[in-house]
Amino acid sequence: MTRLALQSRTRRRTGSRPGLRRFVVSLTCVLAFVCGCSAQAMPGGSTSGDDAPRSESSVAPARQGKPAASQQIEFTPEQLTLPGKATAEVLPASTVDGVLKVPENVDHVGWWDGSARAGELFGATVIAGHVDSATEGIGFFARLLRVKVGDTIMLQGDAHRLKYRVTSVRKVAKKALATDGQALRQTGPHRLVLITCTGNFHRDRGGYDSNLVVVAKPLGLAR
Amino acid sequence: MAGATISPSYAANDTEIYIVQGLPGKDLDVDIDGQSIAQDVKTAKVAGPFKVKPGSRTVTFSENGTKVLENSFSIKEGSKADIVVHLPASSSGDPLVTVYKYDDVKVSKGKALLVVSHVAAVPPADIRVNDQVLFANIANGESLELMVPVATYSVSIVPTGETKPVFFGPVNLTVKGGAINRVYAVGDPEEKTMNVAVHVLTMSTTGSGKPSEVNTGTGGQAVGDGPLLEVNLAR
Repeated sequence: MTRLALQSRTRRRTGSRPGLRRFVVSLTCVLAFVCGCSAQAMPGGSTSGDDAPRSESSVAPARQGKPAASQQIEFTPEQLTLPGKATAEVLPASTVDGVLKVPENVDHVGWWDGSARAGELFGATVIAGHVDSATEGIGFFARLLRVKVGDTIMLQGDAHRLKYRVTSVRKVAKKALATDGQALRQTGPHRLVLITCTGNFHRDRGGYDSNLVVVAKPLGLAR
Repeated sequence: MAGATISPSYAANDTEIYIVQGLPGKDLDVDIDGQSIAQDVKTAKVAGPFKVKPGSRTVTFSENGTKVLENSFSIKEGSKADIVVHLPASSSGDPLVTVYKYDDVKVSKGKALLVVSHVAAVPPADIRVNDQVLFANIANGESLELMVPVATYSVSIVPTGETKPVFFGPVNLTVKGGAINRVYAVGDPEEKTMNVAVHVLTMSTTGSGKPSEVNTGTGGQAVGDGPLLEVNLAR
């Protein structure tokens, strides 16, 4: 519509000068290319544009850089499946004042938003969840107490998935978690780290003295 | 390293382009829509940022007053892009311009986004990092990206699936955290002009810092030491 209107206006202004047809054709190309007819596409916006549009239409578009087919898939985990098909929703969790804010809902687990996304080449993907809570009872990650080396764990998100195999299950004193070589570090080969609480429960302090740390290695690449 | 370095600039909401000069042995002058923005940009150098109007723009590269090539590109308001002039896969072909945009770039806090682009006169290549193929089978005009820890990496470029001939490197590349680190492989190994142009752009980051504590048990029910509010293990 707009293009036709512009053409007819141009025709009126330029009359029947030779080369009109070529001008209209090249102008059409320009308009088609910029997908719109802003004033910028019409240098000067006047009848003196006879030369300018023609030279502009001869400029080929630059190539767009694109990802190679071998681009590795990385995704933010949205769902976690433990052995026995037990599945929990994974929500992003931030560190506030040094403490990871895991979801209050004990049926959900939290992905530390500063940790690796699933499928990255380096660093731990850290997911923590409640073993129990004073207000909600037993949590989804109470199941971690029964996870064994060799078990398969799956992460899914954004229509992608990646399976991991458990390589270690350890009890780590809470104060030692931050400096643990595997648990939170964002260097070294990619791994999945699942964290909950274990050890002795201190009712007076309202918490456990240790963390349970499950480390799993990726089985191939995310897809 | 052998390539260009440029002081990182902070990503604002200006519509900006950078010029990446990947043509060996040329000092290029650069015009946008007929207006000069840079002169004598040397091989493997990055020039910019240059503010441009959003929309369709024309970039012209010339040397000593002679036009080398000219292309149009489009850029959205507030976007940034690298306008890369370089050799095609076969060095006998004409130079070309490839645009790499910075839209939707997400960098994790404390990490570096490393993007390797192939804009050299070589067939599809592997990029080896610390003696491992981290970027496999990239063709001219393509790129691959990885989130990596901040560190110094040894980088070399070899034919896909091979370890030699080494087209380029190894060179040491120190990546900057909280930034996108673009590495462009440029030049022609047969003319011994392989090089890299490096463009580091600091971005806003996502994610929070490392926790010092993870507290995930406040009830004691899991060890039989608390009120059993519900039994939901059997789901």
